[in-house]
Amino acid sequence: MRMKSPGLLAVALVAVVAAVAIGPTAAAGDMLVTAAKPDKLYVIDAAKRSVVSEFHIPNAGSLIMTIVPSPDGKVAYALVNRMESISGIDLKTGKEVFRADLSTPGERVKDFCAFTITPDGKELIVYELPTKLLPSEFQVQEPRFAVFKTNAGRSAKAIRTYPAPRRLHMMLMRPSGKSFYAIGFDLYEYDVATGKQLNSRGILKWDMPSHSQPDLLAFWPVTEPSGVFTSPVISDATTDGKTTMKTGLMSLDVTTDKLEFFDFEDTSALIFSTVLSPDRKWAYGVYSTLTKVDMEHHVLAGRVPLDHTFYSVNLATDGHEIYMGGAMCDVGFYDPVTLEKRANLKLPDCGDQSLASLRVLPAR
Amino acid sequence: MSIGLPKMFRLNAALLGLVLAVAPSAHATDAPSGQALVRTYCSGCHLEHDGAFERINSIRKTPEGWVMTLFRMHQVHGLALPEDVHDGIVRYLSDTQGLAPSEAAPARFALERRPNAKDLDLGPELATMCGRCHSLARVALQRRDSADWLKHMHFHVGQFTSLEYQASGRDRPWWTIASTELPPKLGQLFPLTTPAWTAWSQRAARDLSGSWVVVGHEPGGRDLYGTAEIAADGHGGYTAHYRLKDTAGTSVGGESHAIVYTGYEWRGRAELGGRASREVFAASEDGSRIVGRWFDPEHTEEGGDWTAVRNDAQPQVLAVLPRAMKAGSSGSVIVVATGITSPATLSLGAGTTTRVLASDAGALRASVEIASNTATGARTVSIAGASGQGAFAVYDKIDKIEIRPSFGIARVGGGKIAAVTAQFEAIGQAKDAAGNTLALGPIAADWSTLPYDAEAARTHDEAFGGGIQNSGRYVPAGAGLNPVREFSGNNTANLKVVARVRDGTATVEGDSHLIVTVQRWITTPIY
Repeated sequence: MRMKSPGLLAVALVAVVAAVAIGPTAAAGDMLVTAAKPDKLYVIDAAKRSVVSEFHIPNAGSLIMTIVPSPDGKVAYALVNRMESISGIDLKTGKEVFRADLSTPGERVKDFCAFTITPDGKELIVYELPTKLLPSEFQVQEPRFAVFKTNAGRSAKAIRTYPAPRRLHMMLMRPSGKSFYAIGFDLYEYDVATGKQLNSRGILKWDMPSHSQPDLLAFWPVTEPSGVFTSPVISDATTDGKTTMKTGLMSLDVTTDKLEFFDFEDTSALIFSTVLSPDRKWAYGVYSTLTKVDMEHHVLAGRVPLDHTFYSVNLATDGHEIYMGGAMCDVGFYDPVTLEKRANLKLPDCGDQSLASLRVLPAR
Repeated sequence: MSIGLPKMFRLNAALLGLVLAVAPSAHATDAPSGQALVRTYCSGCHLEHDGAFERINSIRKTPEGWVMTLFRMHQVHGLALPEDVHDGIVRYLSDTQGLAPSEAAPARFALERRPNAKDLDLGPELATMCGRCHSLARVALQRRDSADWLKHMHFHVGQFTSLEYQASGRDRPWWTIASTELPPKLGQLFPLTTPAWTAWSQRAARDLSGSWVVVGHEPGGRDLYGTAEIAADGHGGYTAHYRLKDTAGTSVGGESHAIVYTGYEWRGRAELGGRASREVFAASEDGSRIVGRWFDPEHTEEGGDWTAVRNDAQPQVLAVLPRAMKAGSSGSVIVVATGITSPATLSLGAGTTTRVLASDAGALRASVEIASNTATGARTVSIAGASGQGAFAVYDKIDKIEIRPSFGIARVGGGKIAAVTAQFEAIGQAKDAAGNTLALGPIAADWSTLPYDAEAARTHDEAFGGGIQNSGRYVPAGAGLNPVREFSGNNTANLKVVARVRDGTATVEGDSHLIVTVQRWITTPIY
């Protein structure tokens, strides 16, 4: 039943750096992790603009989606196998050290991009959407959270489960390790140990006067480097009888629990993901443009077109460089002040990163 | 000859394979009965109770619908069927659990794969809950009771996880609506048991053998006419021999092998003028007409309309080609009709002089002179024993050009997915003295494109999208990143399509809207 042992395919690959001068790169030490079709996991030295390691995820099902690094930065957990498995890859050896195959012969289980890890690195909490597969019909089951021990090896089974709402698309651990956020129709908070819902705040029923319900679909669980999760939000705002589509941000401080929504422009560009600077003064968003948002004055601070679409944005630990991945097969390095491109790194074999998260690994 | 599901996978062309799969095999299905095949190959999962199989007997579908079901059973559940078994099951289920003609009629455009068709309007809720992923025609071509519609919703969520997360899915409690409100609504709109099906399933099938007169039209291309000799093939299907011509006199011969599913759903695999084609036709309830569309199996957007009428039916005029002539002009016309007798005569009404040059089964050719001072208007076309009201018009000037379709879609292509062209056609209109609109039929035009709006002009869509040919066919550009475009964007475009027709010294212009968009990655017999 188990797949072959994963192999370390290559290390210390020669970087393929586009012909853009390498500018100031104050983010020395940042190691990035991303993934590409069909089954590749990459570790990148940001300062060197080079792929340090290329790993193969067994039975990945041709698409790697959400990536959650362990708090010590040693393991990357990735949602693979058509959203039916979580694979933990040791970032030193490339070996699969953890595997939870969520489905069983009689039950298909999908995780729509939502899972998180406790701060001690000992437990993964995974959102599960189960469907019973009966001989001549399917039966949709109630969603649940399933908790796995990260030391359970490559046939991990849930040690406890508790009920969850439908349509979650992201989970974020709080630094205390006692509770986690789940984002879907609302922003929920759950107790890690008991699964009890501690809080539920409106997203669809948000408190934004004269605004329609917001549209928010975030599945890049990025809180680095600020400790704040941000996501673009689209809504219609009506003033004086005139309705305008607005782009705004949701901002959630996972430490203080502060939740904020605000508009910053009449919608004029698509944004898939955003990231907040360490000083919390600027947010950066990507899709076909790179967008900079002034967090103090809630206005658009800058926008430049990109070479192509990027889905997943991140930021240097010191805030001095923007990283962008997702969609295609290169990682972009941009100046957060001028928004100019400093470099782009083409991944070996040029597989699409698609919906893979681009994460900055915690310092080891 | 038949291409079944296993081959289809090797071809890696689901569309091609599925279209072919509804077309008949060369061989018969004498051997085990359809029910025996279902018992052998399906009842392992679909348990049999008193002669009925779980789920299977709770659903009615078109032949294409059953092919899609078997495709899914193969793709998702690993069912491997021998080709003849596949064909036998499709035929049995289409015959015993199909749709009555009146039930399939509103959504035939989907079976006929008509390009640029406007989907059914079933109200905003179904448009959002169902129609944002697939056509509502696909819904309307199925019949289930509410209990099975509910199972269908369970299947959707179990199979397509993302549908609760997509735009227009995530803004509402999709599963709650799908599992509570939709099943009774769909069970009422498209129920399993209907008087129409009860009546249809009890009547004997009409024999379509015999001599037929055919008229067809390829948008942007030829009018075809002639005869079809249809004969039973001895294996439960039909063979049709076509002797057709285009209006330039070029012979277009061909042959078709067809199965008639459900007593009226003609699915033929034909070769017409040396080109492979697929036929999706429907026989009328009395068996006197066969109407539908034929198309290229690999480019289903390329094809044409088709009407066949029994030659021994009541004499009637099916078409006059061209459909209109200008007052004061002369030329020749072809009248397509049943019951043409020899010697043939033709009258196009006052102010016209006609002389029959040749007549044959199904058509006559005549020279026509139209007096310059004759009244404009729709004419009654009379040949011996037959007449057609409004099949021909006399006009003095072109009043308007209508472009069909008014909204067209082309798709960039290349590699695994071929480009999809968009065929436009200029249809002339005139007014008679009383102000009535006269349909002049397709008219040759000069074609061009313009940016549809300021944004399309800014992004130079006209330069990137592709180009329009003299025939009104828009051929899109290649797919993929274009590094020359903003954001390395695809060669998509938003265009105005313009047709200019010269009428004497005047120029009449019409326009339409064209979107050049990305490929369909999932191609199914019913979108």
